[in-house]
Amino acid sequence: MPVYVDISRCIGCRSCEVACKRVHGGKGHVNVHMAGDRASVPIFCHHCEEATCTMACFSGALYKDGERTAFAVEKCTGCGLCRLACPFGVVWTDKLAHKCDLCQGRETPTCVVTCPANALSTDFEAASKRARTRAALVAAYGGRV
Amino acid sequence: MIKVDKNLCLGCFSCSNVCPNQNIVREETEDKRSIHWKKCKEECDLCVEFCPGKALSLVPFDPACEEPTLTFDLVACKICGARYATEPMLRRIEASLPRELQKDSTGLAWIWVCPVCRRKIEAERATKQMVLGRSRANP
Repeated sequence: MPVYVDISRCIGCRSCEVACKRVHGGKGHVNVHMAGDRASVPIFCHHCEEATCTMACFSGALYKDGERTAFAVEKCTGCGLCRLACPFGVVWTDKLAHKCDLCQGRETPTCVVTCPANALSTDFEAASKRARTRAALVAAYGGRV
Repeated sequence: MIKVDKNLCLGCFSCSNVCPNQNIVREETEDKRSIHWKKCKEECDLCVEFCPGKALSLVPFDPACEEPTLTFDLVACKICGARYATEPMLRRIEASLPRELQKDSTGLAWIWVCPVCRRKIEAERATKQMVLGRSRANP
């Protein structure tokens, strides 16, 4: 159950960043990037199917748990290889590694619950339906919708 | 006492992180990092066990032996120039990824780019995709 982003809805308020920091003891795993004045893009772990961070981790602290790329902090030695192995730069090492855990233990990740613009969701069907509807409207009427 | 194989050490600070006695001292400046292994009489082998490069081994205590220190130049990011990692660490990541991933159209050039620039590239890519989607029907 990864988090899907609809960046055309993102308003760049950084609420997700703050919410993530709040529930992870001050260490956030979301970064909202401003792409000029065109868009704001929340960047966080993709929970890749073939996760290169898990391939680089020698101690077994990072592993695949179903769709989730999970992290067992007690096995981490803080070597920093995972941080360098992530193509999206969303694993941090700060003595020990930390990354998005999809808010393990919560029903829904806190960034999704917090986002006031509904740009984040865990529902693949809804996210994909919205994208398809938008594409169809563009095809039918043209221009911005 | 700890013996270091300088050809295998990645310069990652794993040993210094796991050492319970602060016998492995780290120092990092803007463009260099160094690791200094103090003479240690402990029977503990945590550093040996948790070395990703298998560079450490325990040898009998010898007071005449010098304390090893290794210094690594940090690699500069290909985009912003910030120093972000040691070369052996990046080489190890290059080697640890499977062949089919290495055949990707972008190759493995991203390894030589710092994590901050990697996030920026991803944000730019997503933005371009969205803008393209909007303008496709109305060029």
